[in-house]
Amino acid sequence: MGLEGEATDAEIVRAVLAGDVERYAVLVRRYRERYARYASRMLGSRDVAEDAVQDALVRAFDRLADCREPDKFAGWLFLILRNRCYAEQRRRQREGRPLDEADEMFAAPDRPDGAYEQVERTHALERALQHLTAEQREVFVLKHTEGLAYEEIAGVTGATVASLKMRMHRAYDRLRELMKEHLE
Amino acid sequence: MMGYHPLVKRLLDGELSLAELPPELRAEGEEALRLLGAVDRAPVALSPLLDERVMAAVRSHAASPAHRAWRWLNTPREVELRLRLRPWTVWAGALAAAAGLALLLGRPAPAPERGLATQVRVGLRDSVFVRFVLYAPGARRVAVAGTFNQWDRSAAPLVPAGTSGVWTTTLALPVGQHQYAFVVDGARWVVDPAAPAVDDGFGRRNSIVAVTAQGAHTL
Repeated sequence: MGLEGEATDAEIVRAVLAGDVERYAVLVRRYRERYARYASRMLGSRDVAEDAVQDALVRAFDRLADCREPDKFAGWLFLILRNRCYAEQRRRQREGRPLDEADEMFAAPDRPDGAYEQVERTHALERALQHLTAEQREVFVLKHTEGLAYEEIAGVTGATVASLKMRMHRAYDRLRELMKEHLE
Repeated sequence: MMGYHPLVKRLLDGELSLAELPPELRAEGEEALRLLGAVDRAPVALSPLLDERVMAAVRSHAASPAHRAWRWLNTPREVELRLRLRPWTVWAGALAAAAGLALLLGRPAPAPERGLATQVRVGLRDSVFVRFVLYAPGARRVAVAGTFNQWDRSAAPLVPAGTSGVWTTTLALPVGQHQYAFVVDGARWVVDPAAPAVDDGFGRRNSIVAVTAQGAHTL
């Protein structure tokens, strides 16, 4: 890591804008994994998520001069990735591509036989998430996968806590319905 | 199967524990917790080649003529001004500036936070002086940040004109189109009420000023 690892986002953004394009690699390394899980759960496919993360990082570079607050690059990049995920979902809907065609990204890990039921339930949940609305899926992923509080989710999405709770509670009901046979 | 009871939803939200549920809801609560137990929080590993693919695209975009032209337009430059003035022109200029300020301050009290980015004078072949004005009574600090200074909130502070609430600064901007916004008290972004604004794509608005060799225009 060395000095590279210690540089703040704002320092790197300013260096890149001043012409040191190679410094952008530090931001790529810093954020690729951090946002991969969000994109994967939102899109239901690791491959599609990888494309989304890659596009978001390139798009962020192209628009770096528009990054008003370089010290908040992480949140700014998240918004770009979020827009990209929503666009991908709209594209899928337009093309009428069934959500279940999304790649199976969650290959069953090696686990003791006794955990088989748990693995099945995890797969069922991942499939069920793809049947929620994008807004319901996002709040579920940010709260229960990424571990954010409602207030933090409101901060990154711009929605109110009350509307986020409403989305989440509808998501709980829908998931209960979709997961019926795996929860009883 | 019906939806979860509101108290069970609060359990899922982490606002209640299982023990706090009424006994008749415990079974439903245990079932709901099995749902959360199925959440996969394992990290997702992306291809190690992703970094190289991103950087290849970045290098390619950085080398494109359009990107280089955009960067050239957006990079602040030091500008050297050489003026040969006769003394009377200095006095005339000072009088004109004083008259302008008097006109500005003599106008009826404007609505809060009125602003204006206007051409002051065409000074150089590729730079134009642009005056930024914001009426922000009660502000402790005002700055202008934009594509011309990498949105640096401290690079271009405005100066208060007495206690009138009017803040101004004049910047030499390169020819091209610039997006900007005022920053009030170091935190609050305010679009220029006197200039057109565009969506920045991330839910906020930026004001726009177009700088040509003939002057600055608010499109």
